[in-house]
Amino acid sequence: MNNVLTRHDWKGVLKHIFVNYNYVFSFILLLIVGRFASDQFITMGNISNLIRSSVFIGIIALGMTLTIISGNIDLSVGSILALAAAISVSVFNSTGGVLPALLAATAAGAVLGFINGLFVGYARVASFIVTLATMVAYRSITVQMGKGGPLLTDNDLYFQNLRWIGYGRLGGPQGLSYLVIIFVFLTLIMWFVMNKTRFGRYVYAVGSNERAAKLTGIRVPGVKVAIFTITGMLTGIAAFLYAARFGSVDVATAGRMFELDVIAAVAIGGTMMSGGRGTVQGSFFGAVIIYSIDAILSAYQVPAFVNDFIKGVLILGAVLLQKALDRTSDD
Amino acid sequence: MQLEMKNIYKSFGAVQAVVDVSFSVGEGEIHGLLGENGAGKSTLMNVLGGVLPPDSGTVLIDGEEVTHLTPIKAAKLGIRFIHQELNLVNDLKVFENLFLKNEIVTAGVYLNKKEMIRRSREIFKRLGMEIDPTVYVRDLDTSRKQLVEIARALLFDCELIIMDEPTTALTNDEIENLFTIMRGLKAQGVSSIYISHKMPELFSVCDRYTVLRDGRFVASGEFADINEQQATEMLVGRSVVDDVVEKTNVVTEETVLDVRSLSCEGHFQDISFSLHRGEVLVFTGLFGDGRGALAECLFGARPITGGSIYLHGQELNTRSILNVIKSGVSMVPRNRKERSILKDLSVKDNLSMAYFTSAHKGLVIHNREENRRFEEQRQQTNIRVGNPNDLITSLSGGNQQKVIFSRWFGLESDVFILDNPTQGIDVGAKFEIYQLINKLVETGKSVIMFSSEFPEIYKIADRCIVMYKGEINREFSRSELNEVDVMYYATGSNRKAG
Repeated sequence: MNNVLTRHDWKGVLKHIFVNYNYVFSFILLLIVGRFASDQFITMGNISNLIRSSVFIGIIALGMTLTIISGNIDLSVGSILALAAAISVSVFNSTGGVLPALLAATAAGAVLGFINGLFVGYARVASFIVTLATMVAYRSITVQMGKGGPLLTDNDLYFQNLRWIGYGRLGGPQGLSYLVIIFVFLTLIMWFVMNKTRFGRYVYAVGSNERAAKLTGIRVPGVKVAIFTITGMLTGIAAFLYAARFGSVDVATAGRMFELDVIAAVAIGGTMMSGGRGTVQGSFFGAVIIYSIDAILSAYQVPAFVNDFIKGVLILGAVLLQKALDRTSDD
Repeated sequence: MQLEMKNIYKSFGAVQAVVDVSFSVGEGEIHGLLGENGAGKSTLMNVLGGVLPPDSGTVLIDGEEVTHLTPIKAAKLGIRFIHQELNLVNDLKVFENLFLKNEIVTAGVYLNKKEMIRRSREIFKRLGMEIDPTVYVRDLDTSRKQLVEIARALLFDCELIIMDEPTTALTNDEIENLFTIMRGLKAQGVSSIYISHKMPELFSVCDRYTVLRDGRFVASGEFADINEQQATEMLVGRSVVDDVVEKTNVVTEETVLDVRSLSCEGHFQDISFSLHRGEVLVFTGLFGDGRGALAECLFGARPITGGSIYLHGQELNTRSILNVIKSGVSMVPRNRKERSILKDLSVKDNLSMAYFTSAHKGLVIHNREENRRFEEQRQQTNIRVGNPNDLITSLSGGNQQKVIFSRWFGLESDVFILDNPTQGIDVGAKFEIYQLINKLVETGKSVIMFSSEFPEIYKIADRCIVMYKGEINREFSRSELNEVDVMYYATGSNRKAG
């Protein structure tokens, strides 16, 4: 493969770009498809809307990317979102402050993720099992907190202090949504973590070959705990934004099935499910692509029950494409 | 069965494992296949067993050409393979292993356990082995596992048995038993190919021999026409002995590492030795001697169950690998693919990883510093690489291993543990690695190397410890070193007499 690159250099470079950034091409392709349905599809406003609707899935997907690169999976993110959001709402109602609500959600997410990490890292239980168990357990705690019904934010306080985060835009009504700005900002931070820090290298190393990673002195259990804690923290931040956007948390349904969309976003973004490879920027686009598919299908007025089927097919197609591309680039 | 293999070629990437090898085995013949580790014996047999497809060449069985061999096809032709590594499923019982993929069933689906157990007992009895077929394989010791492996091959009718070092873990009585069985099969017209390093065994049971060296055919003939001395000469080859790396003695009196009655239950017991500054100490032995576990224990990769390690007079805490690294011990593990290579990471990141964990200050990685360090190391170890950001898997085996060496060179460790560092790399790269090891000791480092290849030991060792069944059996100084004596103690021959 190395020889091919030097012999047909420009071809190699093009291939390299396509193999590594195909999610960008997929996104552009979707925009073009959407353009046929509506003139308004390719406008700053619409694209910004697409990104905004993918914020909750997207922020969690940033963390899930680390989890999957390390060769693990986290099924509990939907339940962590609900519990962290419920805690965030309670704290907001009693303090009225945005900062306490944000900190409470982030801390709750971090603690819940940390617990996952302890079991995966130190007790060495398969992450699939650990997070399957905590998915159910965390949800149960949330439902008991809300006694089955929705947890509402105090109405006056919400409109005074919190709603601006969920709906506000930088630079007036036509400006950029705060949610989008936060999403982009977190993506940049996570890009930095994965590309410029030692920790990022450890995540790739653990997912690539755990035994070899251990023999270079990496404390593998500690890295795993950190990964799950970070995933929990990001889910906590998403939970806070969720509360800010909707003003309430339905304890039984909030975040339910989120884990599937999140994992799909990471897969579409080019992260290998077997670990070792992947990028957070890919997952950013993966999340946006999922919501673009939704938007296009509704623009074409596809009935809702067909919607999920098409989505499923597209996700499978995207992953198959990636596998094919990876094979050609590998050997 | 009459077997003929003609002009077989097989290479793995840049490594030519088998080059133009031809040999033949007659009906009812026991054929000894000789060669050092890496001479291509196992590769050749894997081609015959259908495990590896040859790059070119033909296989003739009873005069007819056989193409597209697979393990299943080989089995149908009556070829049975007793592998060097144990290919048993630990989580199944002995009889289930014996009949794996050949289960006896009634009514098409229902497993006839009674019959399988009965036939297992029968085969063990015939082979004079005392093994209960209803226990789990994981509960057997290595020697029993090897016997099960042999029994599995002999359970069904066959015409050719390939035995790849079947006796490494067996006792003398068990070996004698095996030979009786082999002679019995021979009388029935069954042919065997017998791979072993042990000359007395080869001479006592085999009819004809073929010698391979560096993947090439060297000689074939009757064992009756040669003696052990001649066989060893063909095996080792004059050229290899002459090709000595310039070895200067830089050993000092200063003790760097002191190991006192180190034990690891189930692997080795009561290992004591000391390592001097500037010394290359080589551990050798045969399969099942506990060397692999010893290497891991010295580095903190496996918990020790007794004894202690002193580095510069201070007890070394081996509870954490990172602590061992920071104290000044580096390790190049065996089996590069499994234990060293981070296959999804670049050449540069693979090289830097140990530096990141133990010496890097601050969280953030600076590209310029990384590139500078990479360039420094690349020149020192002469890694041939196009773009350091390419995946490490794009390099040849030898270059990959040089990257793994470089991983540790920047750390200024005092002790380097090298566990089979030249495994699976070509001769040229091996030579470069020997030079690197010499360079290390010349700069005042100390090296503990684990190796099973005598030519290599002869090239670089200042001292050599031979292990047998988890114990130190004999220590040789450089001047005492010769292959026959090393083999004698590695096989535990000295112990059986008493």
